[in-house]
Amino acid sequence: MSGGAGELPALLLALRLGDSGFPGGGFAFSWGLETALRDGRTDRRALGDWIGSEIDLRWVPFDAPALAGGWRASGAAALADWAARVDECHWAEAPRRASHEAGMALLTATAAMALPSAAALREAAATGRLRAHLPVMQGALWRAAGLDLPTALALSGLGAARGLASAAVRLGALGAIGAQALIAGLEPRIARAAAGPPPEGALPEGFPAVSDVALLRPAPDRLFVN
Amino acid sequence: MSGAARIGIGGPVGSGKTALIERMLEAFAADGTEVAVITNDLATDEDAERLRRGGRLAPERILAVQAGACPHTVIREDPTLNMAAADRLERQFPGLELILIESGGDNLASTFSLDLVDYWLFVIDVAGGDDIPRKRGPGVLQCDLLVINKTDLAPHVGVDFPAMLATAQAAREGRPVIASDCRRGAGVAEVIARLRRDVLFTAVAP
Ligand SMILES: Nc1nc2c(ncn2[C@@H]2O[C@H](COP(=O)(O)OP(=O)(O)O)[C@@H](O)[C@H]2O)c(=O)[nH]1
Ligand SMILES: [Mg+2]
Repeated sequence: MSGGAGELPALLLALRLGDSGFPGGGFAFSWGLETALRDGRTDRRALGDWIGSEIDLRWVPFDAPALAGGWRASGAAALADWAARVDECHWAEAPRRASHEAGMALLTATAAMALPSAAALREAAATGRLRAHLPVMQGALWRAAGLDLPTALALSGLGAARGLASAAVRLGALGAIGAQALIAGLEPRIARAAAGPPPEGALPEGFPAVSDVALLRPAPDRLFVN
Repeated sequence: MSGAARIGIGGPVGSGKTALIERMLEAFAADGTEVAVITNDLATDEDAERLRRGGRLAPERILAVQAGACPHTVIREDPTLNMAAADRLERQFPGLELILIESGGDNLASTFSLDLVDYWLFVIDVAGGDDIPRKRGPGVLQCDLLVINKTDLAPHVGVDFPAMLATAQAAREGRPVIASDCRRGAGVAEVIARLRRDVLFTAVAP
């Protein structure tokens, strides 16, 4: 995105797909943050570390390779294979289910918008032929929409950071101004990971232990999906 | 129309949305209408649990969707999760005619996205004050059907109900307004008759 007017269509496409107003259901996921705040595992002051760890320990080692594989997969069978491998890489049921639910939501919205590939992916997922993990679906959908891989990764990483920050805002733990500073602080890490995409075939790994435990904790009165 | 008709039910917290749904489910159970419900409670599955306990509907026909602390967003700016839940219900129950989607409750500015619903009701109540229709909130003005519930409470809260109804009718410029008392079930048959006529297209000719 360095250059001149010729790159503006690509920039606009990325801005549109990555817009916080793009519907996809993501706003209702806190990825354990709601429970962690309630249990005192993090608080206002430690929030930056929590969200930073989610990027370093979940998004970089797990989501980014999952997305890259989804972006690279050519054809329905290859994509389903990759999604099944990503499915197996989840060590626990709660994050696996949440990732699938979030991916299914994205497919629901994008199919309604008639984005390229979305309807077919949604049908495959609804009939059990495809595990609709969120980063894998982002990779597949955004490639079909015309994004290159580094841009798709950047969108996903920034979306993860912004999603967590905005959940924190709605939970009353962060202000909208402070959220921007926090997200800006994460941009270099996201950019680094996006600029050097995971090698072909690299499997998702990683164990964001603290937030996964928060995801596993029963939370009867929760505002968020997780 | 493909699939089940999707009906939104909005209105302030406590106005009687769940109570209206409970009454409607009684009627639908009696006449065999195939129905399912999605609730958007703020922080619990309480409405869903209450409807399941009511026993008018198989528990698996009642889904709760979390609103991410934002009951506005989940029915308008980003109704994706409600759309996904409705899709799931349709797939699971192919004969479904009606999906009722209850908002978690919000202020008078809340409206349903037409990406999500085919038709929506807004439920206010007499005890909320007779000035509510005068405030001309988008919910009151734009809904397909305005329900003014808890008519039984009018004498207890000092509300001149006929005047409140007239104000609401004037604000709505001829679009439908129905008064109800969900405690006793009054007005519910009228609401259902409206849905039959305007949404299900199964009204019986007089
Ligand atoms: N007196 C009276 N109480 C009602 C009526 N409808 C609902 N309620 C009561 O009002 C309270 C809130 O109702 P609920 O259905 O939970 O409201 P919701 O938040 O809009 O779903 C409950 O205690 C109901 O029993 C009515 O028509 N008359
Ligand atoms: Mg309710």
